[in-house]
Order: sequence, then C-alpha cells, then structure tokens
Amino acid sequence: MSTVGARLQSARNLELHRKHLLAERDADARRVRVCLGTGCTAKGAQGVMESFQRAAEEYEEDLVLVETKCTGCHGFCERGPIVVVDPGNIFYQEVAEEDVPEIWRESVIGGRVVEELLYKDEETEQIAKTPDEIPFYRAQHRIVLKHNGVINPKEIEDYLAADGYAALAKVLTSMEPDEVIEEVRQSGLRGRGGGGFLTGRKWRSARDAHGEPKYVIANGDEGDPGAFMDRSLMEGSPHSVIEGMMIGAYAVGSSQGYIYVRNEYPMAVKHLNIALDAAREMGLLGEDILGSGFSFDIRINRGGGAFVCGESTALMASLEGRVGEPRAKYIHTVESGFNGKPSLLNNVETWANVPQIILNGADWFASLGTEKSKGTKVFSLVGKVKNTGLVEVPMGMTLRQIIYDIGGSIRDGKAFKAVQTGGPSGGCIPAEYLDEPVDFDRLTDLGSMMGSGGMIVMDEDTCMANVARYFLRFLKEESCGKCTPCREGVAQMLHVFDRICTGKGREGDVELLENLGTLLEDTALCALGSTAAYPVLSTIRYFPDEYETHIREKRCPAKECPGLFRYEIDAEKCTGCRLCAKKCPVDAITGERKQPHVIDYEKCTDCGTCFDVCPFSSVIKV
Amino acid sequence: MPTVTIDDKPIEARQGETILQVARKGGIWIPTLCHHEAVEPYGACRLCMVEIDRGRWWKVVTACNFPIRGDLTVRVNSERALRARRGVMELLLARCPESPKLKELAARMGVLGTPYPHVTEAQRNCILCGLCVQVCADVIGASAIAPAGRGVERTIAAPFRLASEDCIGCGACAAVCPVGTIVVREHEEEVEISPFKSRIKRKRCADCGKPVASELVKQALCRRGGPPVTEILAGHDLCPHCKRQKLVKELTSTGGTNV
Repeated sequence: MSTVGARLQSARNLELHRKHLLAERDADARRVRVCLGTGCTAKGAQGVMESFQRAAEEYEEDLVLVETKCTGCHGFCERGPIVVVDPGNIFYQEVAEEDVPEIWRESVIGGRVVEELLYKDEETEQIAKTPDEIPFYRAQHRIVLKHNGVINPKEIEDYLAADGYAALAKVLTSMEPDEVIEEVRQSGLRGRGGGGFLTGRKWRSARDAHGEPKYVIANGDEGDPGAFMDRSLMEGSPHSVIEGMMIGAYAVGSSQGYIYVRNEYPMAVKHLNIALDAAREMGLLGEDILGSGFSFDIRINRGGGAFVCGESTALMASLEGRVGEPRAKYIHTVESGFNGKPSLLNNVETWANVPQIILNGADWFASLGTEKSKGTKVFSLVGKVKNTGLVEVPMGMTLRQIIYDIGGSIRDGKAFKAVQTGGPSGGCIPAEYLDEPVDFDRLTDLGSMMGSGGMIVMDEDTCMANVARYFLRFLKEESCGKCTPCREGVAQMLHVFDRICTGKGREGDVELLENLGTLLEDTALCALGSTAAYPVLSTIRYFPDEYETHIREKRCPAKECPGLFRYEIDAEKCTGCRLCAKKCPVDAITGERKQPHVIDYEKCTDCGTCFDVCPFSSVIKV
Repeated sequence: MPTVTIDDKPIEARQGETILQVARKGGIWIPTLCHHEAVEPYGACRLCMVEIDRGRWWKVVTACNFPIRGDLTVRVNSERALRARRGVMELLLARCPESPKLKELAARMGVLGTPYPHVTEAQRNCILCGLCVQVCADVIGASAIAPAGRGVERTIAAPFRLASEDCIGCGACAAVCPVGTIVVREHEEEVEISPFKSRIKRKRCADCGKPVASELVKQALCRRGGPPVTEILAGHDLCPHCKRQKLVKELTSTGGTNV
C-alpha cells in the first residue's frame, strides 16, 4: 500500500484520507491474512506467508485482486499457524507450507472451503468455518485485541482504515484536557499492569502535579513467566498503544513520551519503531499535530531484561540510565518520576484501551465488566489446558468459563487442580473457586491477584509445593538485591522449600514460611518483594495437606518431587522390550526379554528415564 | 507546622522532614543501618520500620525516608513495628553471623539470635546497605564503587570486581560503614582499602620522607576547592611531626615575641 506522502494537516484531512483509503479498497478482493505473531512464526508461518506471496505473484489472471498480508497474533496460538481467507472470514488452522497450493486453488481463487484445515471440535466433531463458530473465540470480547489478526501492524494505512487515530482527532478537535480525564475516570478503567489503580485518578494527579516537563511512559516490560499479552499487543497493534499515549499526553500536558520495552521482544521493538516512523511521517507525531497546536513525540527505550524493571520506579531509574532499582514511592511518580519530573506511567494494555473509550464513550466501557472492574482483560491462558493462547474477556467472567469454555478443559482428561493468576507474585486458586468472577478485587480476596494477566492452569499431576518453589526460584534470580527482606527473605524461603521438596522438611517449616511471608509483605521495598510470598501463602492456604504429606510422610502426592515417590514397573503391562533397561543410566532395571522387568531400588536414582522412554506406559509412579 | 505524634508523644515537625529526623529530635530511638546524615536516604536495609496511621488502617513504612506532609500519628514500638524490625535484623544476622557491630545493634534491639541458617553470602560481613557507594559518589565524587550483580549475589565492588582506577584512597567508605566491614590499612608505600582491592600510593613527607596520607586525596581536594585550597595545602607537604618541628623553628627564629 502506498503512503500518503504528505503530512496530515488537520482532523478533516485525516477523515478525508480515511475515506479515500476505504474507497480504494475493492470489496470483492480476495485477501489472505497470515498470522505472523511470535507463536505462529515459531511454527513456520513465515514459510506459509512466502508461499502465499509466491502464489499471488504467479497468479496471472486479473479476474480477482489478491492481497496477502501478515498480521499480529490471533490469540489461538495452540492451533497455529493461522491463515484467514476473505471474503468469508474462513479460518484455517495448523496450516503447513504444503497446504498453501490447496488453500490457494480451492479457497482463495475457487471460493470454496478446505474442510480438513478448519477447526473441528474434539467432542462434538462440529466443524467451524469462521472464528465466531469456534468456542475459543465465541466467549471472547475483543477491545484491546480488536485489531490483532486483522490489520497489518507494519502498515499505518491499515490502522487508519480501521478508525485509527480517530480518537486522537476527536480529543484534539472537540475535547478539553479535563474532559478527556473525566471521560477516562467515568469509564472506570483501572491499570492493567497489575496494581489496578484507577487510571482516571492517576491522570488527574499527573495533570495537577507541579513541574515541567511532564512525561508519559508506556510500560512494555512484561516479564512474567508464561505471559505474552503485552508482547502480542505491541507486535500486533502498535498504533493502539501510541494513540492511547498521545491522548494521555494531551490530557496531562506532556510533549515527550517513552515506551519501555524488553529487548527480548525484537518484533515488538521493530513494529513499534515502524509505527512511530510512519506516524511521524504523516504528521501524527511531532510538532503541531493535525494543526491543533499540540506537539508530542515518543522514544523507545529497550530494557535489558531485568524483571524488576517492570516496577515503576525501577523502570524510571533504568530509563534515566541508572541501575534498575526501585525506590520508595512515598512520593508518587506522577509527582516526581522520570528525571524527578511528573511522569504518567501506564501499562501498554491500559494505553490501548484509551482510544476505544474515547471513541465509544465512557458509558459503553463501564457497561462491560463488574461493579469495580470495568471493561475487558487480556489473559495469556497457558499450562495444562487444551487451547492455550491469548484471550480477551469481559471482567467478571468466571474462571470456569475461561478455563473450560475458552480453554476447552484440561489436557489428556486429567483433573483440574489450581490456576495461578498474576504472574510470579500471584496466588494459586483451587477448584472450589472456579465459579468466582475474575476481577481485581475478587482475585485479591482469594489471595491471588489480577497482575498483568498471566493464567497458568495446573492439573492433578502438579505439586503445589513445587510450584511455589519454582516461582520463588524465579524471584530469587530476579530480586535486585537492594532491600534486605526481598534479597534475604526469598532466599531463606527457597532454602526451606529445597528442604521440603527433597524429603527433609521439618515440623514448623510451614509456620516459618508464613512468618517470612508476612515479614516480606510488611517490609519489602517494592511490590516484587512484598508480594513474593503470595504463591507460598496461597498454596499453604488452599493445599495444607500437600505440605503436610511432604513434611511428615516424606511423600509427594502429585508425584512430582524426585525421591518422594517411586517408579514401579507394572508387570501386567510390561512387554519386556528391554528399552528401559538399556536406557537406565545406573543399570537398575533387570529382566529377561519378553518377561516383566523389575527395578532395583538400591540402585535407582529416581531420574525418571524409564518413565519417559517406556512405549507402553508400563512404568508408573507410586 | 505539622505535629507528629510518636508513641503518644507530640513533636513539632517541618514539612519534608522525615519520621526519623522528627523522632531523633524527640529523643526517640529508631535503629538504622543504611542511614547517614551526609547522604540522601536510600531505604535499603529496612531496619527502621515504623507503623503510621492511614485513617482506616495502619501501614508499615521506613522512617528514614517517609516525608512529613501534615499531621501524622506514628507507632515506633507497636507489636507489628517491632516484629518487622526484628524480622529484618534476624535476616541480616543470618547473612552476617560474625559481625560484632551488627550483633551489638541486634542486642540493643532485643534480638539475641536468628532462626535462619547462613545461606547467603557474597561478601563477608557486608549487609549491602549501600552507604559506601553513596558517600563515594555523592560526597567524595569519585564513584569508584557500585553494586555489582543482583539478588543474593549482589556485592559492592569496582568495575569488573578489579582494583578501582577511580579510588583516591580517602577512606570515607570505611568511615561510614555501619558494621565495620570496610577496612583501611596503611602500608609503607600504599593505602589499602579492602574488600575493594584498592591500593593507592602514599605521599611522603617533604622533610623526613615518612609516608603520610594518599597523594590522590590532596589532588582531589585541590581540584574541588580550586586555587584557595591549593594555596592552603601548599604548606602541608609535611608529616604531623615535621609540621610541628617547622612551627617551633619558625616561632623561635622570630623570638616568639608575638605570643
């Protein structure tokens, strides 16, 4: 697609350009959208995209106009690579390069459907042609991810055609800064990065703060294990974040913005850079935007990979070029943040909500969600669930709906055990609370938190003590080491867990963990430390028996902690194939060919090799 | 002027003062480790935890950097505040079980031991309060040392954990270290500061040739003070003994009539 070439001089200019773009579009054109999100790319989407491009080049008849384009993440990463063919919004999943000629011939040119590549429900065997017919998408409500999978994130024209920057034009031409803040306040939007602070109130404080210049900053330093909400948003719809920041800057009176994004997200950095350049070229960033007198620009700062830099004060220290360490927030960053100046920091997902609130109104946004948590939330649904991926649902949807309806229930017919929300500092919620609505306050009541939207589903084979140990290990590695309780306390807790999970737990260990947890909550400098014990405290709260069994009986009920269960060979199932005996590194398995084998427990080191290699599942954990 | 009520004792405070400053004015003791008047509060050791009234709830905050913005009610010796401070001290004792100065402070707080084992140590007896780093950067202006590594691996060191090229051997780091971990040793030729591996050449007395303070300290003082300081220090190339000798000589040669 061509760029406009000239700067947009006014809001009217922008509208005319949008109309022009839409008029230029051929309604009958055949379009192929290939998902080039990180998940699909890892599964070979790049090759699929290239095959489609080659096919389009070789296609000589000019009966139909064929366009191929790459898009950001569609969310259904489990079934990638994903290809959507228009008209018809036909959704193909798990597309390989070899499938491209058939899709091209049958679907793109022929207008028919390639059934084998459609989504098929495992239980009902029902075939879904469009995303709306797939349970994974049916219950979702996409506001933030509206453009993901639809537009090409590298083409500003695509975003413009989809009402992009219309919200910016609206605030610049018809709203006073105070009106913008009021609109955001009335929407009830709360920070999506974890804290859940009221966005409108934060903006108000930033506007009222004394000091010049003021800064607006987007936090794209997502670092929770298993989370990729912000990543997919920045990769798939970078302009939404930029437009939100521009509206925020106008509202609080800022002319300089920063996006702090992890360097481990190269595609996000690339797409944001392309988006910023394109916006600058069109006059949507820079001096006198759309002739309104408002000037604003954004710089990208790449983070070096420290988890703690997602914390607001550490992020700003890092932005200033100092060591990424938090400081006390008794004076808020909206008063004194980056360079000691008033700084408005929001998560990228919060920013991306803003244009939609301005366009559709605060009342529309507030009509979604629960009493105190409005709008939608993007979650990365991962773990032992059938449909992993990125989901956006209205606040207040129950955990059961998310895990069973959207996630399609637990893998391999196993039983659900717990869901961990809120990243490494979140808590584990057990099955009895599956029907609780997911919102900021309810999750906090349950001893977990919304966090930035990680959702890790665990099944019956997951040891809860081991889960807590895993997150503590993560936090020990990521603690900056500045304050005593976080640095020393997390290490001490981990020390206790190393004991419990290796059968050396002692009476009183649980109380010791609880005391340390309370100490951290009260005394740690930043949220990383003060919430570090949540996985520990919540698993102790909901799964006390599991801790007890580890400590008293030296047994792991989920059979995950090595040494706290035994491998056994089921004599009835064993075919005597000799594979386990050959692979055993300590020669602990003996038996004649075609006769059941046995494990010598004097030699066995519980390494689990036999369990992994047995082709007949005759090695069992007891 | 805001009134800060600490453990039922009202104390007048100025805007922007910290709880610690107000408490000290009122003669109330709050233990600290990473706090020093010469530098900005850093809030790292978390030993000065106190409870403040937040209207509907009580919040635990660090006294060293919580600014007074209006009337405030503080509890220094409430059960929760004591538990917080003692808990932090126990963690520090587990890290540095051999530090006599730390044990002394712990005893004053009523902490006689720790329930935790010694599992973390990257630098012997260092509590990582950061005072040495701050004084070196903000007061001396040398920035010779900084925190290196993170989490329990954090240590205070010069770049690449080698001997510092920027250390002037002034010993300010040792002077502020609250647990006596940093040691200045005066050798014949050099001043050594451990554990930073600094070895700085000593200046020699112009008369007797005995080693005196670090040469670089004088240079740094001249740089910072400009010509007046240079002039003052010009006559100070002697060791204390020779300086006295010189003064006696000068006084006797003028007959000492002015005295």
